[in-house]
Amino acid sequence: MLEKTGIATREQIEKLLPSPGRRAEGPYAVMECFQKIPCNPCSTSCAFHAILPMDDINDIPSVTPDKCTGCGACAAVCPGLAIFIIDESKGGGTGTVTLPYEFRPLPGIGETVKAVNRAGEVVGDAVVTRVLPGKKTKTPLVTIEVPLSLVHEVRFIRCEAHQEEDPSVADTLREIPAPPQTADIGEQDDEVVICRCEGVTLREIRDLIREGYTTVDEIKRISRAGMGPCQARTCGPLIAAEIARMTGEPLGSVAPSAHRAPVKPLPIEFFLGGDTE
Amino acid sequence: MMYETDLVVIGGGPAGLMAANTAAGAGASVLLLERDRHLGGQLIKQTHKFFGSEKQHASERGIDIAALLGDELKSLEDRVTVWTHATAVGLYDDGVITVDYDGTYRKVRPKRIVAATGASEKFLSFPNNDLPGIYGAGAVQTMMNVYGLRPGKRVLMIGAGNIGLIVSYQLLQAGVSVAAVVEGLPQIGGYAVHASKIRRAGVPILTSHTIVRADGKESVESAVIAEIGSDWKVVRGSEQTIPCDVICISVGLTPLTELLWQAGCEMRYIPALGGYVPARSDRLETTVPGIYVAGDAAGIEEASAAMVEGHLAGLEAALSLGCGGDGCEEERADCLKQLSSLRSGPTAEKIRAGLSCAHGCQTPKRRDEHA
Repeated sequence: MLEKTGIATREQIEKLLPSPGRRAEGPYAVMECFQKIPCNPCSTSCAFHAILPMDDINDIPSVTPDKCTGCGACAAVCPGLAIFIIDESKGGGTGTVTLPYEFRPLPGIGETVKAVNRAGEVVGDAVVTRVLPGKKTKTPLVTIEVPLSLVHEVRFIRCEAHQEEDPSVADTLREIPAPPQTADIGEQDDEVVICRCEGVTLREIRDLIREGYTTVDEIKRISRAGMGPCQARTCGPLIAAEIARMTGEPLGSVAPSAHRAPVKPLPIEFFLGGDTE
Repeated sequence: MMYETDLVVIGGGPAGLMAANTAAGAGASVLLLERDRHLGGQLIKQTHKFFGSEKQHASERGIDIAALLGDELKSLEDRVTVWTHATAVGLYDDGVITVDYDGTYRKVRPKRIVAATGASEKFLSFPNNDLPGIYGAGAVQTMMNVYGLRPGKRVLMIGAGNIGLIVSYQLLQAGVSVAAVVEGLPQIGGYAVHASKIRRAGVPILTSHTIVRADGKESVESAVIAEIGSDWKVVRGSEQTIPCDVICISVGLTPLTELLWQAGCEMRYIPALGGYVPARSDRLETTVPGIYVAGDAAGIEEASAAMVEGHLAGLEAALSLGCGGDGCEEERADCLKQLSSLRSGPTAEKIRAGLSCAHGCQTPKRRDEHA
């Protein structure tokens, strides 16, 4: 599911496709933009008015396939890199996919690259037929030729230069066994450093809360937690959360520590050297 | 010596730059304070194209938007003073801001303030979370995109919100492998298009999963992750070891609001906006008259909304000083319209709920209005 994995479903994709007749005629844009977000550059970029103007900026783009020439202008401006140009009209059992590709080095024309699907899996080889460097948008558009059966699958490429990276990251996740449990997780938790600046652990904070110190300021004064360079910006919310957890109070009623000038530690001489008014 | 000016904008990110440009464009004198040595805030490391519409520079990359807004600022240099490497360290109830300006102590008294201080990253508590190799996603992005350094060879990303997804993509672009993106929620939090982009590049996204601990002698060598149930507890036996040398934490942001607390603004705890945020009117004025808020400091949201908020806050601050001319009413209406349109979709449901809690406060009259 898209909202859990980032991968659009087959049903979502199929709904985007124009009629078989239109698909046989020439290139067309597929907008894999399924979520209402405040964004409209595609609709203002189309010189052929193939993308309906958006009354509401959160509208999902709507393409009129008969007006779309597959020029790719929208694909280059789309901030979500969600627009692809598909051409199934070439014949010979192959089609092309034009995709936004913001990686270096760019592949060369004629180069064979790995064709990758929406899940990041290599599904075959592809030959690069066109590279638009994207001078203005800085989003290059790469056109690849793939078997016709893959034009709705392939959405990314992996070039030779990127081969040394492990493409099977997803597999390694499942292969490595869980580590032996050396201690109970709760016990390890106690040694967590909450205030890095002053080296205060969660155990110390918990002991203080048990002793009855239940405000961030009290804990700060007695342990120095929050008195270092970060001035509690990192540890303050963690301490407040622990107070809330242990006392059962809602987080919103745990007062943050008092805010006084200066907002960062400064040497005394700093105040002596400046304005005297 | 006290530095006097119409408006101080604290923070030179997308919201602050827009506020400074708008207020100066309307005729106000502006001092812009930026903690970093360069303007742009988080924009300068955003190498991806932005969403939104043309008005928020959609389809442009963050780094290019930073340059664009910076150029506009330069064209207004007779009215704008920029202090970089300048941290506002205190905001007092008499309206004075103290500043660490490149190591010297300065005091500023503005007539109005726009706080565009941004946000800080939330962190997670897990065993060995202090091992070298564990970073916030923002730090990783800074290393890569600002300083050109790879953080490591193989990264485990914790958090599938937009930042986690985008930084994963940028790691891939930099030639770093991403072992997996781990997300505690049962569904991906960021935009589906960002998720699809890294998924097709081979990165698994594991929802309902959490990091159990990090392991390594001198630095991170692996991490243990596990599935979590609907009770947020680890499912026993689901633990697996992921070899990695970097663990990147991207579990959300929290507004940076210390100065607003100091100034005595009414603060409200609104989890949907990332934590404590100032109560404010729909025109972004806090409960302390003359102090406005914009961008992530007002609640965690996309940069496109931050830019429009900055525009609105700068405009309101300028108008309250009697600056501005014809067309300001239309400009204000347009900002409000842009904000409501950016926030009208299903992905902004949380933001809308949060804002309904943050809005609805009465700003007392300003001292100069009483006179």
